[in-house]
Amino acid sequence: MIPSRLWALAALVALAVVPWVLARHQLSLLTDLLIAGLFAMSLDLIMGYTGMVSFGHAAYFGLGAYASALVLLHFAQPVPVALLAGALLAGAVAVPVGWFSTRATGIYFAMLTLAFAQFLYTVAYKWRDLTGGSDGIAGVPKTALFWGGPSLTSPHAFYFVVATCVVVSLFVCLAVVRSPFGRALQAIRENERRFTSLGRDPRPFKLVVFVIAAAFAGLAGALFAPFRGFASPEVMFWVFSGQGLMMVIMGGIGTLVGPILGAMLFILIQEVLSSYTEHWMIFTGVVFVLIVIFLPGGLVGTARRLGARA
Amino acid sequence: MANVLEQLLNALALAGLLFLVSAGLSLVFGILRVVNFAHGVFYMLGAYLGFTTVALSGWFWPALLVVPPVVGAIGALLESSTLRFIYRRPPIYQLLLTFGLALILEESIRVLYGPTAKGVDPPPLLQGAIDLGGVLYPRYRLFLVVLGCTVGVAVWLFLRKTRAGLVIRAVAQNSEMADCLGADVVRVRTLVFGAACALAGLGGVAAAPMTTAYLGMGIGVIVDAFVVVVIGGLGSIGGSMAGEEE
Repeated sequence: MIPSRLWALAALVALAVVPWVLARHQLSLLTDLLIAGLFAMSLDLIMGYTGMVSFGHAAYFGLGAYASALVLLHFAQPVPVALLAGALLAGAVAVPVGWFSTRATGIYFAMLTLAFAQFLYTVAYKWRDLTGGSDGIAGVPKTALFWGGPSLTSPHAFYFVVATCVVVSLFVCLAVVRSPFGRALQAIRENERRFTSLGRDPRPFKLVVFVIAAAFAGLAGALFAPFRGFASPEVMFWVFSGQGLMMVIMGGIGTLVGPILGAMLFILIQEVLSSYTEHWMIFTGVVFVLIVIFLPGGLVGTARRLGARA
Repeated sequence: MANVLEQLLNALALAGLLFLVSAGLSLVFGILRVVNFAHGVFYMLGAYLGFTTVALSGWFWPALLVVPPVVGAIGALLESSTLRFIYRRPPIYQLLLTFGLALILEESIRVLYGPTAKGVDPPPLLQGAIDLGGVLYPRYRLFLVVLGCTVGVAVWLFLRKTRAGLVIRAVAQNSEMADCLGADVVRVRTLVFGAACALAGLGGVAAAPMTTAYLGMGIGVIVDAFVVVVIGGLGSIGGSMAGEEE
């Protein structure tokens, strides 16, 4: 079996080389895939490693997108400032939401996060002066990488910003789940009652990881706004949260890399099918249902199982 | 005073509809331990099938009788072909599987019926308004209040007073023990899922004359129904009746 470091190296090389051979719209699709992948990966942090299924993760993606759009549009700051703003706003809002939601577990946690996300969606929808209501914020510019630098309007330049963010985030998340803190999270996932009986309170851990995951989702949203040039309430809608969960399951829950691949598969199905039919959701739904029934570990989990058997 | 009465009746009419949906949701959670995200889509399916039945027969009443069993059968079929295989997994898989089913059903309805909303006329008997001591109130909404209450009582009696209800309650309390004592748990699950879908379908047919049948009505109702069910207590039918007074 090929060691995972070789896989990682191959993936990095591919990320660096592939954009130069792709056509313009393919590169744009790849950028899209990576942003969705970052979103799904952040969800895996709470879902796969802590066992908290959030049904409102899109809200933090949306908060990141709005923060980034407003910073870029009104203050004309470089892109990294907007990314930071997106991640910080999403993380900051996640503090009170997480504080309330982590009191509940299981289905109730999912429903609480869903309720908070619908609340945030409604705020984005109704606060016309700030968010533009249902029209959203259009014309978000791709500004420079640093003060006085050239603007990132070339697709390649922006692609590399996104790719760097995704790779760095992946390594940060891997470091988090391998740290003692990450081990504690997995202990909570395996048996919360035993964790408590060992003398630790699980709630601070849950709150911190919830905020971290929200911040990474915010980062993904903050990349999305300048990439697409807009931020709208749709990205905060709960259906998008559900799609994020689908991406995680399709790719492989609790693997971090898997959800990135799952997001790519999800968006690729959508992209390929939407050129044939507008009803691509039927097919995505069928593929998803089949994966849930027949490949419980998702793509990565199944590949690992086959690899271990070979 | 008249205004208060009108508001109260409005609340009860909506509560009647919401009860039909949330009772099924609660029933499924109680017996299958599954949060059924597809439940709202069965409500929507009921409304659209109601539209078809009314369009074909020209009558409203047959729709109320024919559609719920059809929706229930579709639900039971889906349960036995997908959900049945993954009960042993963590709950998230079941929730997400129903999410996938919801997407498939919703898009299928869009393919079959197109994007425009379908209106259904209430039956002649229930058209117009009725004078309730100075308040003119739409007859159809009053009918919804009655329907919700009737079905509520019927479900309660079924669960409390019949042998089948006893078995269902036993499975809800401890499915392994019920299995040991000879209850066919697999069949109970399928039938309960089908019955819950039939209730949602009935809600959909009944809603169609008031709200029309439109895409997205399932998503709208499911969030409300979750609120109802959580307020009233997941898994308890009585709770879902009380919770809808929000």
